[in-house]
Amino acid sequence: MKLSVSAELCRGHGRCYTLAEDLLEDDDEGYVSVRGLIIDVPDDQVDDARNAAGSCPERAITLLED
Amino acid sequence: MTSTAKGDRIEGSERSTGGCPVIHLDASPPLEVGSHWQKANEMREASPAFFNTHAQGYWVFTRYDEVREMYQHPEIFSSESITPWEPDPVYRFVPTQIDPPEHAKYRQLISSWFAPNAVKRIAPEAHEIGRRLVADLAARGECDFVTDFAMRLPTEIFLTIIGVPNSDADLFVPWVEDFFAGFGGDLAQQEAMGAALGGIGQYWVDVLDARRHEAQPRENDFVSLLMHSEIDGEPLGDALILDILTVLVLAGLDTTRGQLGYLFRHLAEHPDDRHRLIAEPELIPSAVEESLRLYTIVFGDGRKVAQDTDFHGCPLTKGDMVYGLVSGANRDPRVYDRPDEFIVDRRSNNHLGFAGGPHRCLGAHLARMVMKVAVEEWLTVIPDFEVASVEPLMERGGGAMMTLLSLPLSWEVSA
Repeated sequence: MKLSVSAELCRGHGRCYTLAEDLLEDDDEGYVSVRGLIIDVPDDQVDDARNAAGSCPERAITLLED
Repeated sequence: MTSTAKGDRIEGSERSTGGCPVIHLDASPPLEVGSHWQKANEMREASPAFFNTHAQGYWVFTRYDEVREMYQHPEIFSSESITPWEPDPVYRFVPTQIDPPEHAKYRQLISSWFAPNAVKRIAPEAHEIGRRLVADLAARGECDFVTDFAMRLPTEIFLTIIGVPNSDADLFVPWVEDFFAGFGGDLAQQEAMGAALGGIGQYWVDVLDARRHEAQPRENDFVSLLMHSEIDGEPLGDALILDILTVLVLAGLDTTRGQLGYLFRHLAEHPDDRHRLIAEPELIPSAVEESLRLYTIVFGDGRKVAQDTDFHGCPLTKGDMVYGLVSGANRDPRVYDRPDEFIVDRRSNNHLGFAGGPHRCLGAHLARMVMKVAVEEWLTVIPDFEVASVEPLMERGGGAMMTLLSLPLSWEVSA
């Protein structure tokens, strides 16, 4: 699975990096550090990634199934 | 509270509502707890949009998708006014009422101070404050939670993160209480509200004066940082700094108090959830989010239409006001399973309790931390407690942010 965060939509709610703390982290302003990027999701973190995407109030996170 | 009319013409006006049902709803009077969410549920299931003839008249969007869309499109939905019954306010809160792209300049100045890293910095002090406040109350066996604890805790933690003495909560707690007593429209309270605003303003003037002419910004001192900041190459100036500080006080303290009151009422009335949080404290952040969703203190949020738009069949005209019913969105069954239940470990909780889009609540990370501290420190010392009132609890109306007006709690004190 791959995960992408829309740089345009992300507003720094912080739900994703709280719920998927082994996968995502915050920057100094409170945005997720991988805004605008696509990253690989390790198999053991797929569940956290789904929860993070589903908890984003901006729907800024897209999951791409392998 | 409401009457629904058929037809798509506003009475006494030539204006078309494009088929939107017309209602008359004034959500400002205090009501029995839960009434506002019940009303929001009824409206949401009756129609995705209404035209409300309250005040000068404004559109109401009741469902999750439309409320999120409102937040995410500031080019259509301006923050020039955020109170739908007051399209042309005399005040202009910064950065609350500034639209993009100018908004980002102000926001960036402030947002790092309230980012998770900054909040973590003061977490040890916040826990210490929470422990002290709970210890002070524990032996009494009873308290009015919303006045004795829920107002004091966020105020002391806020003053700590700003970098002024947390003991000044002695001043801020009565100021904020007096402000919101008058803000709800109670004419008898207007003088006290004015005096409170004056007191808050003078407090910050004194803080500014104490830092004037200092060559370097003080460490961990927000006011000092603002005094050394620039926008477009210019210093901010006293008036803007005072405005920002006052907005933070009025936006951050009473709101957290309101949210804490609803969460602790839930815990008092649901021993199973309480015991689960004691056994599995790692679920506390999830319970905090669920209380922000289910017991949202934001009945609705207003915006001003910046350009003529057809929005889901509603013919919006530039200058119209709209009201996104956040409390309806957060219980929308199109988005949430078991929407009216408190699910401690709910997954995929994308509530709009902190708004969305560019004006997402700046203090969200701080508010979450305060609520987590409250639950952890309280449950450690007072694991069992109940609502000590036979009368129904009352909540402030949805004109401002909602809060329980009183929450009497009691617990057993061991000899």
